[in-house]
Amino acid sequence: MKLVITGKSFISSAQADEAMETLADRVKQMRFVHDLEKLAVVAAGCAMLGSGLECHHGDSDIGIYMGIDDAIEDIKDEYFTGALADGLWGASPLLFPFTSPNTLAAQISIAFGLRGEGLVMPVKSLCPDMIKYSAGSIEGGYAKKAISGAISLTDRSLSIDAGRYSAGFVIIEKEADAVRRGAKIYNTLKAGNIEDI
Amino acid sequence: MLETDKEWLAAPVSTGPDVLPEDKFFYMADSAVCMAVADAGLGNRRQAGLSVGTVLGNILAKQSRLMGGQNPERLRKRESLTCVAPYLAEKHELGGPSFTISTACASGTDAIGAAAREIISGRADIMVAGGVDALSDFAFTGFHALHALTETKVRPFDKNRSGLALGEGAAFVVLEEEGGASKRGARIYGRILGYSSRLDAHHLTAPHREGRGLAAAAGEALLQSGLDTDGIDYINAHGTGTLYNDLMETLVIKKVFGKTAYEIPVSSTKSMLGHSFGAAGAIETICCLLAINHKQVPPTINFEERDPACDLDYVPNLAREHDINAAMSLSAGFGGQNSAIVVGAL
Repeated sequence: MKLVITGKSFISSAQADEAMETLADRVKQMRFVHDLEKLAVVAAGCAMLGSGLECHHGDSDIGIYMGIDDAIEDIKDEYFTGALADGLWGASPLLFPFTSPNTLAAQISIAFGLRGEGLVMPVKSLCPDMIKYSAGSIEGGYAKKAISGAISLTDRSLSIDAGRYSAGFVIIEKEADAVRRGAKIYNTLKAGNIEDI
Repeated sequence: MLETDKEWLAAPVSTGPDVLPEDKFFYMADSAVCMAVADAGLGNRRQAGLSVGTVLGNILAKQSRLMGGQNPERLRKRESLTCVAPYLAEKHELGGPSFTISTACASGTDAIGAAAREIISGRADIMVAGGVDALSDFAFTGFHALHALTETKVRPFDKNRSGLALGEGAAFVVLEEEGGASKRGARIYGRILGYSSRLDAHHLTAPHREGRGLAAAAGEALLQSGLDTDGIDYINAHGTGTLYNDLMETLVIKKVFGKTAYEIPVSSTKSMLGHSFGAAGAIETICCLLAINHKQVPPTINFEERDPACDLDYVPNLAREHDINAAMSLSAGFGGQNSAIVVGAL
């Protein structure tokens, strides 16, 4: 089975609002509690847009596989600092769910109506690990396409608007499926590793 | 896997005067991995991999630091979620594929399911897999803010259920290809027959009212198992004791199993153990395996009044003798995360 990449994105948190303008109105109208969820949705959306998969409501064949590094620790710090400052009143019921890393991927599933597999791994070496796992899921028949990527804490010294975080996603699918739907093929995958074509 | 045998409790773990309350997360994880590895009689672990499910990781260390505590360096180094699998793999000399999975309260189930896939795909021969999470002020404030905690007793599926009770723990299994396990004379607790994960794509904290994702996961896991609806003899429900979860789960079981749903014992072990987040799915998978081995269904305790909308057999208050050849464990979590795993007798 030959797997290929048909869409890709790499977006800094400094570019998230600009990139959001390229997505559908339905996505633009979403309300976000934390900038990381917006970044996740925008980056996944841009990869899907490039792959011609902008809207797939109710699709259970597309899995979301996301890695996240210490970026998630920022949300936990923010939530608990609020609770420490104001006791239980400072414990935000809106922010608390985002201390569980999978909720960032969940926002992608909600934004684009994706009901397939969802897996989130906290890892330091982000993209290679996730792409290998995603490729394995397609090869094993557990998903037909994968939105695979990661969110990363790029530079602790920067504010969010200046590019503290970045996110990158790729769309992986079988070559035969990509050719059938006329998708542009950016790269091929061999043993889970990206190769240029 | 552990059964109540004091010999296993003597397994070497990081005990000693330098163990702080903030060490609890890794203490529990270390202990459970030691017990599972010892129970499986694994000699050379270098070939084995590790799959750990956790939601909050070593949150007690973070909490202590944010509250002004002077954490020792070893705690600061292991505060991040990304450190969990690497630390445990190195400590237990597990040289195969190693990863942490964080899919809310389905983490433990997904960790076991993903580990099984590593073996099926040939990427690993043996995997140590499970979940761990520790009780913390962090979690308490969050679930309190969401009004998800009960102020009385956790009563899954009861008419007067009012929320969940927090718990903690660690649970690990050793997975390997059946031929390999038989060859080295290992005790085999059961087979993994099916596993599936599905997203609701609905809401961040509330389950889809009709359990769209959980039904899809349960249906797919059942399909993979090759069993008919009457082939499942016990269901360990997610059973948190919240109004919507238990109602949704009842609908899911009826949707997937049809009329057979009324004949399958369904219980919530969270009624006895509380909700241990990332550990819950692993604990409940082990409950299914032990139910198969002991031919006994664990009960749903604190069950007093039947809810007309929850009309299945929830095994109220007392364990029950029952011949179980295959069992399903259901898990659901924040973000519309759903998983189902089917285990069967050898």
